[in-house]
Amino acid sequence: MSDAPLLSVRDLTKHYTTTRGGLFSRETNRIRAVDGVSFDIHPGEALGLVGESGCGKSTTASSVLRLTEPTAGDVIFNGGGRGGAGRNDDGTHPNDVTRFDRNELKAFRRDAQLIFQDPASSFDPRLSVGASIAELPLVHGMTDAERRRAIVEDLLERVGLSADEYDRYPHEFSGGEKQRLALARALVLNPDLLVADEPVSALDVSVQADILRLIDDLRAEFGLSVLFISHDISVVREVCDRTAVMYLGEIVEVGPTEAVFETPQHPYTEALLSAVPTLDPRSSGDHIRLTGSVPSPADPPSGCRFHTRCHRVIQPDGIDLDQSVWRRVLDFRERVVAGEIDSASVRERVRVGEASPGPPAGRSERAAADDTEVGGPDTDDAARVRAAYDLPATFRDPDVDRAVADAVAALLSGDDARAAETLAEAFTTPCADHAPEFTTHSDGHRAACLRHRPDLPGGMGVFDAE
Amino acid sequence: MSTDTDPNAEADAPRFDRVDWEAYAGGRTGRVSTTTKLFALTVAPIVALAGYDRVAAGERETVFDAFAAATDLPLQAFGLDFAVTAVDYAFAATLLLFVWYLVVPLFQHPRIASHYWRRFKRNRPALVSLAWLFVVFGGGLLGPLVLNAPEQNILAGHQPPVGLTVAEANVPQCVGEVADGRCGGTWEYPLGTTRGGVGVFTGVVYGMTISMKIAFITTTIVAGIGITVGTVSAYAGGWVDEVAMRAVDIVLSFPTLLFFLLVLYVYGAGLGMFIVVFSLFGWGGTARYVRSKALSVSEEEFVKAGRLSGASTRRVVRRHVVPNTASSIITQLTLLIPGFLLAEAQLAFLGLGDSSIASWGQLIAAGRSDLAFAPWIVLAPGIVLFLTILAFNFLGDALLDAVDPEATTEAER
Repeated sequence: MSDAPLLSVRDLTKHYTTTRGGLFSRETNRIRAVDGVSFDIHPGEALGLVGESGCGKSTTASSVLRLTEPTAGDVIFNGGGRGGAGRNDDGTHPNDVTRFDRNELKAFRRDAQLIFQDPASSFDPRLSVGASIAELPLVHGMTDAERRRAIVEDLLERVGLSADEYDRYPHEFSGGEKQRLALARALVLNPDLLVADEPVSALDVSVQADILRLIDDLRAEFGLSVLFISHDISVVREVCDRTAVMYLGEIVEVGPTEAVFETPQHPYTEALLSAVPTLDPRSSGDHIRLTGSVPSPADPPSGCRFHTRCHRVIQPDGIDLDQSVWRRVLDFRERVVAGEIDSASVRERVRVGEASPGPPAGRSERAAADDTEVGGPDTDDAARVRAAYDLPATFRDPDVDRAVADAVAALLSGDDARAAETLAEAFTTPCADHAPEFTTHSDGHRAACLRHRPDLPGGMGVFDAE
Repeated sequence: MSTDTDPNAEADAPRFDRVDWEAYAGGRTGRVSTTTKLFALTVAPIVALAGYDRVAAGERETVFDAFAAATDLPLQAFGLDFAVTAVDYAFAATLLLFVWYLVVPLFQHPRIASHYWRRFKRNRPALVSLAWLFVVFGGGLLGPLVLNAPEQNILAGHQPPVGLTVAEANVPQCVGEVADGRCGGTWEYPLGTTRGGVGVFTGVVYGMTISMKIAFITTTIVAGIGITVGTVSAYAGGWVDEVAMRAVDIVLSFPTLLFFLLVLYVYGAGLGMFIVVFSLFGWGGTARYVRSKALSVSEEEFVKAGRLSGASTRRVVRRHVVPNTASSIITQLTLLIPGFLLAEAQLAFLGLGDSSIASWGQLIAAGRSDLAFAPWIVLAPGIVLFLTILAFNFLGDALLDAVDPEATTEAER
């Protein structure tokens, strides 16, 4: 086998436009489900694609297979005897799946197949499973029914079922058996590429291991390449040679599975990894908690898309706070600017605070907080507001403290706009202004995080500098 | 990956990884299925007979008489001596359609059929309903071959059913025994007779034929149009969807009864006209159901799997989408049939029906003036009509539960 990748995805983009409103008040909304994703899969390789639900993993899979038409980008597939072709003069590629015509697409269906997530609905309840699987050879021209049956029966045995299960119906199988059947259906045309979209997430843990082992065995036996999509890092770790981590429609880190999971170079990967429960009692302390909610793909954050939740978000020149405090300040700023926190909600929180016994003290620098308590009702309210939104009662940095105090005062006096303006001016992060580019860390291990760029303030080139 | 294309090796052990798919590519797969061939084969004689009827048979001659005269076949001996109408041809063709595309597939797939049967059996009222509908179906199909067509016999008018008596004054001539001035029923007329002396039992049996004709032909037309419009609408989307659904709105809001009255005054209203008018304006609800069901089914993963197999949209729709909308189609149709039967009976009762046919409605209409002393004329066909409509409703419910795959997964969860 040559060095050319079997599948080469370049800048794959899938935007959904939703239109709301009637004839005269149209409001179009662009959901950037997948936004410029690139990766390669080499022959015989298993690439894992991990990320939270809703980050565009499944859309990537169906765009690669052209179950949904991608908005832009190339999907170059060199399997099925298509290898060795170069780009045309106009920059298009003869093996670009997104440009395949009907016949080419039908031929492509023989070479790339998919396993679905939900075993319950992936088989037609009105056809025997054998008939469902044998439909593929029939569609591709094998009219000899006995031959089809023989092939499917042989395949059923290979995936750990018995040949006489050909005539049974989907409702007679368990979830794990259905996933074996799904594997048989995906394999029956002898594809080069298998896309597995969360193939085990609907199964019991004990069954998961069986199915994963089966996928691994079949991959070794038939030289399959696998694109393995999962939100479960431990599953990907088990089967994949390389792993790509996706966040909000973009790949943020890609590399050999070992490297990505042992020395994660992107804070999001770190956070994902720390969310995996471990048996190691020592590791339980440094659990990374992602704050904030997943931003909407309709309106992704500027710069680095992860900066609204990143626990390592860069501090600008002149600000030197504890990293967790900085994160909370940014969260506060984000919510005030977005209008989630306004004078009405602040007053509500203050009233609740008054009802509870005694003003709660800030988290750090408690002594200073005690001093401010006696300052009168205004300072009292301000302290309550800070406590309600997880901010310390005072900051060491006087500039920061003044900005926060001004904003809180503005909120208390009902001037939402001024509060938002004050915070937006005082607290900026380079992460919001610069889109990170990929930096290479070791062989094939790349991540897109601004902290790896030494030319930026706060960037340090080396990730674990702290 | 093995690219072994040695035909002998392949023949020994058919394995998926030893198939040279390039060799198969481009082969025609859209071949006509055996079922379709058999259907065409069996429906051909009916079409031929209909053509013969039109071309060769005379005005006042039944097609069987003409055919027997031309070929010297003793057709009358088989009971084939009645006049064949267009409705009869349609009925025969529809029956074949049901046999080849509903009954035969059930026998071909005994496993799923027995699964459906097991689930269907749980519903006792539905079992009884099915038995009753079999009686109606069998009576309607075979009755006319066994029993003579209902005939007027003024002298035998108003005979009471077996076991009942009627005052002799109400009977022109008592066929049975007269005791205490009351006329008793006889087995010659098990359900009594009408004023004209027509046996009510014979009338009810002949009415079964009419009802079965209405049920089968309207079902076929409504299902045909409804499924086509519904799936095309769901799959084509855009302006096709828009146009189709507006057509459905029109059909649903169309005053079918008034239109039928208009047709009746202009052309006269035979059974055929009734069936055509009512089924042409009866598919709206079915199309809407099928469309919504097809939309939800097309989101299922097995439909995506069908597309991924490389099959054409047409194939995916026919093989996967339409069969999986069956549960909603069946309910819809089993609820429609009683509507048609009732409509026919109501029109007949009002004297707006086809007076040349012996439908239940005609029988009820014939007895309404004698209700005071001869209630059996109205009651016998009325009860049969009531039971049949009830049976269709029970059957629809049970079929939905038995055939709906959603119910399967929910029950087993």
